[in-house]
Parts: sequence; structure tokens; C-alpha cells
Amino acid sequence: MSDERETRLLMISPSSMLTPDQLVRSVHAMNKDVKVKETCYGCLVEGRREVVKEVLDQIRGKYRNEVFSKRRAYPAGDPRRCRAQHGTRPGYSQLEAEWALLSNVQHGLECADRGEKVEPVPEKGLLPVREFKKICEE
Amino acid sequence: MKVFIDPPNSLILFDIVERFGHEPLSAMAAIQEKIDNLEIDMPPMNVTLDDVVRGLKYAGVEVPSGIRGRMAMWGPMIEEADAAIIMDNAPYSFGCVGCERSNEMLKYLIKKRGIPKLHVAYPSNEEEAKNFVVSAKEFLEGLGK
Repeated sequence: MSDERETRLLMISPSSMLTPDQLVRSVHAMNKDVKVKETCYGCLVEGRREVVKEVLDQIRGKYRNEVFSKRRAYPAGDPRRCRAQHGTRPGYSQLEAEWALLSNVQHGLECADRGEKVEPVPEKGLLPVREFKKICEE
Repeated sequence: MKVFIDPPNSLILFDIVERFGHEPLSAMAAIQEKIDNLEIDMPPMNVTLDDVVRGLKYAGVEVPSGIRGRMAMWGPMIEEADAAIIMDNAPYSFGCVGCERSNEMLKYLIKKRGIPKLHVAYPSNEEEAKNFVVSAKEFLEGLGK
């Protein structure tokens, strides 16, 4: 595995008041040796693994449940994926679908931070034949 | 601990696993290996014989090649994993023979390994999202205890 480069995708939750511009400025203000590329959903941060981890920890500390991140295989601006260079964007539909879900996940994380519990969902067992016959006859 | 996520490229699962202190095993890491250590930068020529041989361990020669190719990438990650989180019925986890059979094969391999696993339903509202996050948190915090 490459230890040199790590590219991180930082996505802002739709229910957050944070903008990609503010996020990029926060990362720049940390004065770390990373490249930052602003995107419509947040930004891409690229650099050495340990430095990117420091940036991520600080972002998580500042915008705890508002910014979500995942690793990105391709470097920022890679011509095989960059829209400006007519690259293909095969993962974008999934990112868009997950972005729509982030508000609910943000709410879930806030509930988890408050220590709320949930009832375990009972596992569905097999339906007995007698029950099945009763349902058919009704 | 290393936690395999399914779908392997999910942003939400990757973030949640990392947030609660574990290392997520995802497709992005495997693909980065291909990008950074490339011998031939010309897909599909960058799929070498090693990948085919690796895939044969999980899927035989009669299985469609799409499945074998995917398992070559995901199979080693499942072998390395200490636990797994699987999101059921995600709307973007669909596909034809290649993708859907690969998804089923992933679930089968995880079950066969016998590692602790958590199945979570894809959340469609706030209540379900709360159940999802809280149960994932309890599962991840309970790992290694």
C-alpha cells in the first residue's frame, strides 16, 4: 500500500451551515503541507498520510458531525477523473445518493453523542405453517 | 481493528468506522494500490495475470469474469478483516450478474469467515438513521472487548 500519498474527500452534510469555501479556508489556515481542492460538496485534501490525518482530526474536532470523510484512490485533479479534463466520474451517483442521507446520519450521530439507546430490532424468524394457512384463509 | 465495509466504497460506513476508532477496509485502498504501483497505465491492460490468479481462489473459471475480477480485489480484504459492517438494501447496491453476484459472494465470504458482523438496514428517515448509527457505535465499541 502507498504510504506516501493519501487523498481524502471531505463532504459537508446538507443540513450544515458550513460552505465548501469556509471548509477550504479552515484547512488552509492550519498551515499544513497539504494540497486542497475545493469541490461542490466540500473539498479534497491531499498530502502525506500523517499530515492528512492531522488535518482530518482538526476538522473533526471543529465540525464534529457536519463533515464526513473517506479516502479517495485517485489524486486530486487526476485527468482520468477530473471533470474539467473530461474524465469519467463513475462514483459520483453513489456520492450523490449518500449526500442525500447525510442529514439523517448527522442526526443519528448527535443522538449517539447524547448517549441515546435504541431497542434492538427482533430478528424475523420463519413463519409457522399454521400461521401461513390462517393468513391464506382470511 | 480492521473492519470490512459493505458496500466497499461507502462514504458513510467508512466515516463511521473511522470515527469510532477502527480501520475501515475499503475498495479505495485496493484501487490506490493499482494507481500508485502501476506497471501499465492503460485500463484494462493494468489487470495482470496476478489479479486473475488471485480471483481464482474465490471464484472458479466458470464464473463470469466480472465477479472474479471484483473478488480479486475484495477477497484479500475480507481475509484481513477482524469484523464487518454490512448495509442491507442500499439503493446504489444493485446490478446485473457481475455486481449483484459479487455482492452476494461478499456476504457469503464474510459469513464463512465467522468474524463478528453487523447487518444494518439502509436508513430512510431520522429514526432509522439513529438506529443505524447507535447500533454501529455499540458494535464498534464492543469489538476487541
